[in-house]
Amino acid sequence: MKPLRLWPQRLVGQVTLVLMLAVALEFVGSSILFENSRLYPNRDNQVRRAAEQLVTAEAILETRPEHERAARAAGLSARPNEIGWTALPTLVDRERAAERKLKDQFRDAEPSLVRRELRMNTETDHALPRDTHLKVALKMRDGSWVWMKTKIRAAPWAVVLSSFGSAFILGLGVIAAAALVLRNLSRPLRALAEAADKVGQGERMRVAETGAGDLKLVAKAFNAMQDRIAGLLQTRTEALAAVGHDLRTPLARLSLRAGFVQDAAAREALEADVDEMTAMLDSLLAYLGGQEDPEPPRRTDIAAIAMTLVDDATDSEREAAYDGPEHLPVHARPLSLKRAISNLVENALHYGGEARLSLVRDGRLVILAVEDSGPGIPEDELAHVLEPFHRLDSARARNTAGLGLGLTIVQQILKREGGELVLRNRPEGGLRAEVRLPAL
Amino acid sequence: MIALQREIAAAPVAPVVLIVEDDPALRTLLMRLLREEGFQPLSAAHGAEMARVLETNSVDIILLDVMLPGSNGFDLCRSVRRESDVPIVMLSARDDETDRLIGLELGADDYIGKPFSQKELIARIRAILRRAQGNTQSSQPRGHQQMVFAGWQLDPGRRELLSPDGAFVDLSGAEFDLLLAFLSSPQRVIGRERLLEMSRARISDASDRSIDVLVSRLRRKLAVSGQAEALLRTVRGVGYIFTAAVERR
Repeated sequence: MKPLRLWPQRLVGQVTLVLMLAVALEFVGSSILFENSRLYPNRDNQVRRAAEQLVTAEAILETRPEHERAARAAGLSARPNEIGWTALPTLVDRERAAERKLKDQFRDAEPSLVRRELRMNTETDHALPRDTHLKVALKMRDGSWVWMKTKIRAAPWAVVLSSFGSAFILGLGVIAAAALVLRNLSRPLRALAEAADKVGQGERMRVAETGAGDLKLVAKAFNAMQDRIAGLLQTRTEALAAVGHDLRTPLARLSLRAGFVQDAAAREALEADVDEMTAMLDSLLAYLGGQEDPEPPRRTDIAAIAMTLVDDATDSEREAAYDGPEHLPVHARPLSLKRAISNLVENALHYGGEARLSLVRDGRLVILAVEDSGPGIPEDELAHVLEPFHRLDSARARNTAGLGLGLTIVQQILKREGGELVLRNRPEGGLRAEVRLPAL
Repeated sequence: MIALQREIAAAPVAPVVLIVEDDPALRTLLMRLLREEGFQPLSAAHGAEMARVLETNSVDIILLDVMLPGSNGFDLCRSVRRESDVPIVMLSARDDETDRLIGLELGADDYIGKPFSQKELIARIRAILRRAQGNTQSSQPRGHQQMVFAGWQLDPGRRELLSPDGAFVDLSGAEFDLLLAFLSSPQRVIGRERLLEMSRARISDASDRSIDVLVSRLRRKLAVSGQAEALLRTVRGVGYIFTAAVERR
């Protein structure tokens, strides 16, 4: 027999249970609160009780001889009431609205007081909860006076307010508790959303298969989907890389054959074609192989790399310059880093006709900027040029060598070194590409 | 015609080049190119054939493809190195820096990624042959001997230069060869002509480039708080002198 399970397995069940518990808690809590508030008598009751006490005190004192009355009255006193007896009146009646209203209430409560002389004097606290201090004297049938001092709590609205407050706090507590539980329930969902986001950016991420039964199923399906996608990509990548490598042998033949062509113009054109195809293959293989580059990161002099690239460019009679220190070490894979910077320099030379490199250390960053004076990149294209196989408009693609992987590779390499590529158009024209790496 | 003349002129000392390449068309092309450039080419399609050729011929240089059926180029390189110092140039379809390093560490003298142009290949072969000839006369370093000078460390096998604080310092091929030339004759005045000769390996148009430019670039890369000037001193009208002592490990 299956054990009885109190915790439901599915999300709907769990949410329902939490809501039920919350409602029950609120119900129990507010019942206790209202029970409590009944202990606080309202103002009318207090007045009625005071009137009753006064009448009772008179009735008792009337049966006593005059010399016993004062002592007996003191005996009737009970906090917060004080009762006393005097032969002569000690209280001046204040005929204000408050007193008149209280007298009416007294007489309503105790009809025996209707034709009797009552003297009243009230004082209401200025501070909350504004209790009323009442002094009342009743003329007995023999002309002596029984008096009472009491406090009438200005309860009703304060009590109501306070019980509202309690109910409010209770409600908040229940809502918070329920939200906390629901948050826990939905944690697997949020993890899934995060994972989906990361996976969309090409990362792999296993989702923990926990939580409600149906969420567990989703996580499982998600992981399986990732595995399938990764497998698919892997196969395609390997196939593409294999073709890339295999193409090099026929290209090598072509390149050698080009050397035998007598017509100089045709030979040069052939060689240029071979160079272009080689460059495309190189960038494709760099892009595909980037993830599993076995080169270990090490202390690398980025200044030396920049100088080598600038010298290479000037040697082939292109305009390039370097401005910066002679040495500046970073932690990176030297060959990848050189490829990244080389791509930027080639881009600058190709589109901007020149490449000006400058290297600075800015706090925790090492910034190598490659600037040109070309047309730059249209602002709305800046975000897209980092996407693989993206090329700027077709008019320019005509004289563009490569596959549109250059900047993608740069970014891929820099990301792996904990750095980033920042592109922006210079206000004076041209593009500024910044290689940013953490300083050592 | 020109090729024929060259062949005749070079005939008495035509260097023997062994091509180990499994692609028949590429093999044929290489044979033709080398013959026209005045070399005496031999060929083999795989390792076993290479061994047979080496048994019966004296070879000056081997062009060795990496991707071969059976034992690959790296294995063959290692086995050749066990027995001889014959220069080896690896040819690879994987123009991959890791492969390059493996090849150089196994004792190959150079590594060329496919595709390569005729000019490039011939220039590299000539440079290596020149260096090999120099080797028999002078005591130029081979293999994995580390060279240490003024805190700097140079690994000729991996073609790597490390600065005194341990950072990898990128050098162009020509700069590296020039530095190697200085390190092989430390504390001796070397004339410009000789330096040009020794480091021509990487310079395709040597005449266009002045040794002075190369030296000044090298100075900049070796600069460590004013020490560089002292490392490479100009000897007016003659050439340069590398002032630091070089220790080999």
